[in-house]
Amino acid sequence: MNWLRIFFLLALVSLRHDLRAGSLAVTVKDAKGAPVSDAVVFARGKGSESQTAHSKIVIDQRDKQFIPYVTALQVGTSVFFANTDNIRHHVYSFSPAKKFELPLYSGIPAKPILFDHVGFVTLGCNIHDWMIAYVAVLPTPYFQLTGDAGRTLLKNLPAGEYTVNVWHPLLKGAPEKYSQQVTLAANGTPELVFALDLKPDFRTKRAPGLSTGDYR
Amino acid sequence: MKTARSRFISVLLLALSLSGARADWRLGGETGAVYESNISNSDRTSDVRDDWAWRSNVRLSNGYQVLRDLRLTLGADLRGQVWGRFGAFNEIGAGLSAHLRYRFGLGRRAPWIALEERIGYDGFQETGRSNWDESLTLRGGIVISDRLALEAGYIFKNLAASDDFFDEQSHSANARLIVDLTSSLQIALGYSYRDGDVLSYATPSRPDIFALASERRPVTTFGSNPLYTAYRLKAQTHAVSISASYALTKYISAQVAYRYSTTSHDPLHYENHSVEARIAFAY
Repeated sequence: MNWLRIFFLLALVSLRHDLRAGSLAVTVKDAKGAPVSDAVVFARGKGSESQTAHSKIVIDQRDKQFIPYVTALQVGTSVFFANTDNIRHHVYSFSPAKKFELPLYSGIPAKPILFDHVGFVTLGCNIHDWMIAYVAVLPTPYFQLTGDAGRTLLKNLPAGEYTVNVWHPLLKGAPEKYSQQVTLAANGTPELVFALDLKPDFRTKRAPGLSTGDYR
Repeated sequence: MKTARSRFISVLLLALSLSGARADWRLGGETGAVYESNISNSDRTSDVRDDWAWRSNVRLSNGYQVLRDLRLTLGADLRGQVWGRFGAFNEIGAGLSAHLRYRFGLGRRAPWIALEERIGYDGFQETGRSNWDESLTLRGGIVISDRLALEAGYIFKNLAASDDFFDEQSHSANARLIVDLTSSLQIALGYSYRDGDVLSYATPSRPDIFALASERRPVTTFGSNPLYTAYRLKAQTHAVSISASYALTKYISAQVAYRYSTTSHDPLHYENHSVEARIAFAY
């Protein structure tokens, strides 16, 4: 009987939380108005710092590419760098937010990498120079990545005031430069539009180039 | 030389055959057309012969990360070229190579140095040219910025032909500046200096060149009317080049290259313009 009461109590709390929650619809474009995919949109509530996450996620290496290209996670999250190729990879990062190295391995390393500082991390493979990926380590649980249409929806945010920022691997300047304040009412879905100033994409191509020092 | 060559080939074949585990195989190559404005290496306009060829090569290699910063790549290649007019230069060849690259740190921006040894056999339609071909290459490079990289190298090349007249030895040094203009388009500006054997062809016989040459011989390389005389001599070549590569897909690039070279051994002096368009692939 007591379990039944607890269940109904939890369901009520959850329902109340949902009733008080809203969403944010965000569109991200570049300076020319073209949709920007893989942009990280994150919202921070005023005066309510979120607790550190303790979850674990996986970034894969498949067909000599990191999958996904951009990962957003809350600070405190651990990442398993799986290698599902049948060759070895050598993952590294020089980024101040997380410097690490996973020398030459196959499969899934026994220990994940803990991302314990907020910031933006660039990943590379020391064997395959074209392999690159990014991790956005965020101080909030409210984040999403934009899709091909440059749009995303942040769901189930408690009503309140938020600062919304956008980050992208090619972003010129800090994400604070692209900041908007929004007041979210219960069941509301305000729409925000960001126009980003992006750097040219100079990612190393896998296709053969002119350098003789590349992977060969 | 033959013993060393046999040992090198045996070791490479053994290593390639044993390398199934954790193999990091890579298949690559190029195919395309090349035009040479002075294939006869002649200094007199009336002697100059130009031609174009279809040239292809394919490589299968396997990479081993020996240490964190040291990578050994063993490869086998096949190559061939078919000339439009002068079939004597038609060639098919095969080779084995060992490439050792050391990086001074992690990532693509780390400076690197590489040593490569390649041994191959090239069969020519003019059979006297068929040769064992050995080259030793030492190269290094640095990435200056996201868009700029600089490479420099030294190459020793030795061709031991079935007919000694076509033997060739050379030393060359080169440098290239590679620029990423866009995410897909790369260009390279290069300079090279070569010191070594060349064959220069002329008709009729040229006593002035003969005075410089170590050997001469009438050849049918350019036909028998007129019959050319080939002069074997040592000369110095300066060359500048510009090339571009455009990534079409994840595995394929379209590449074009132009090279101007000037070769001299006073008073002999000749020039060559070379243009090449090719498709490069790597999987």
